[in-house]
Amino acid sequence: MNTLSFDSKRCERIRQHLDSYLSNELLVETASEVVRHLETCDACSRDLESRMRVREALQRAVANRSVPDSVRARVVRTLRDSQPRSFFRASAARWALGLAGIALILLSLFAAQWLSLRRGEQLVASILKLGVSDHVICAIKDHNYPEVANPPDQIRQKLGVQHAALLQVVQDRLPGFEVLEGHICTIPGSNRKYVHFITRGQGTILSVILTERDGVNLPRGKLLTSTGSTGIGLYQGHLSGMEIAGFESTQYFVFVVSDLSQNQVLQLAAGLAPALNDALRTTTHSKRSSLSESSSAAITNHGASVHLTSTSSIATRSGPSIMAARMFPHG
Amino acid sequence: MFFRPKVQLESFEQAAVPHLGDLYRMASLLLQDRHEAEDLIQDTYLEAWKSFHRFELGTNCRAWLFKIMFHRLHHFRRRIVKTSRLITIDGPEGQAEIAAEPLVLQHISDESILNALEKVAVDFREIVLLADVEEFSYKEIAEMLKIPLGTVMSRLSRGRKLLRQELAEVARSYGIDPRGKQAGAAETA
Repeated sequence: MNTLSFDSKRCERIRQHLDSYLSNELLVETASEVVRHLETCDACSRDLESRMRVREALQRAVANRSVPDSVRARVVRTLRDSQPRSFFRASAARWALGLAGIALILLSLFAAQWLSLRRGEQLVASILKLGVSDHVICAIKDHNYPEVANPPDQIRQKLGVQHAALLQVVQDRLPGFEVLEGHICTIPGSNRKYVHFITRGQGTILSVILTERDGVNLPRGKLLTSTGSTGIGLYQGHLSGMEIAGFESTQYFVFVVSDLSQNQVLQLAAGLAPALNDALRTTTHSKRSSLSESSSAAITNHGASVHLTSTSSIATRSGPSIMAARMFPHG
Repeated sequence: MFFRPKVQLESFEQAAVPHLGDLYRMASLLLQDRHEAEDLIQDTYLEAWKSFHRFELGTNCRAWLFKIMFHRLHHFRRRIVKTSRLITIDGPEGQAEIAAEPLVLQHISDESILNALEKVAVDFREIVLLADVEEFSYKEIAEMLKIPLGTVMSRLSRGRKLLRQELAEVARSYGIDPRGKQAGAAETA
């Protein structure tokens, strides 16, 4: 009994180590003691065997548990997606920064372009306004033309030697229009003078006006309405109920103004521009032939007073608002 | 994580992906939900990839991954405890009776064995799996679960006993005498 009690206690102590023995966690001395006991104790050997079978069965059951292919695929896909996504996010920041810079540059360029365009538009409008003003005041309001066309010689005399030749050009290049009058207009308080042809055709009055540029250049590019086959740039505007189309020659701004339609005025200007430009080139190639020296028969225009400076800025000093044109009957 | 070279991801995949099956089996046996297990595995691998720069190649990648997984699993712990069946451990006499004889398990299906395992409370189940299936050392298990070494030993001992109890029940349901004889055979003998 004492022996049994001794063995039972020993078995109990050994079995306390069986878990660690099974896990190979015992110190060498303790493991040796367990082995020696198991060699002589069937009960403890069966206990260990039972534990080992459970463990083996568990290992087998778990190992046979299937792993869906989707799990591995999902993990690998997620890992690989995380790379380009991270790169993209970082790149997106750089792209955004770059694009912001480009946008800023483009905005600056656009703003400069826009301001330039606006300045150009204002300049063109100011210059075209001269032509409209001259037409409305001299031809429409002051009615400085006869009902029956003045004789060509009289007109040439009024125009002076330097501009007399232009009469024929205007007459020839404005089909359907009769030149009623030609003269040089002066503006009180201003040095500006202009050559004015008043014509009649298509049931209305149409003016051809030449005013000195005084070094002012019209902006080109988008503001040009048409360049035509001759390469002469045409500017077009609608001011105070009048349609105006103009171009610049070496020394003059030339305007065609009427209350005809935009296309009609533009076509008339396009037809007139090449020949008139050539004529101006030959007749006004020197400063001597400028309007300031050919005002022998000038008509005073008491209307608009516009000063052209040598720079691109133009300032309207004073003058009444431009009146709307009226249809004039043939007479 | 940004701009890490592709070769590093390949190294990570080579080191970590081969252990995915072991991790998934463990996760599914602890969570008992396939979708949650998949989510846990994905979180584990993304977390591991983020901290891969701290992993020293050549060391135990498998243990490192399990440690990360159990860290992530900690967030599921409360839910697991709630859904797990709480099992009280029988007295030492009952345990000794069952444990004294070798269980006959060759006729029991894998599914029945895993069903028996699922009935063991998760605190014990996870240590049984880590020690007996994954064969991690006590020290590694203690580090993974952040519990003392003595707790690992006691939980493992209790977990094994609980599993043997459950398997004895399964054996009886199969008509097998846990002492090693089939019931029918014992009667005819």
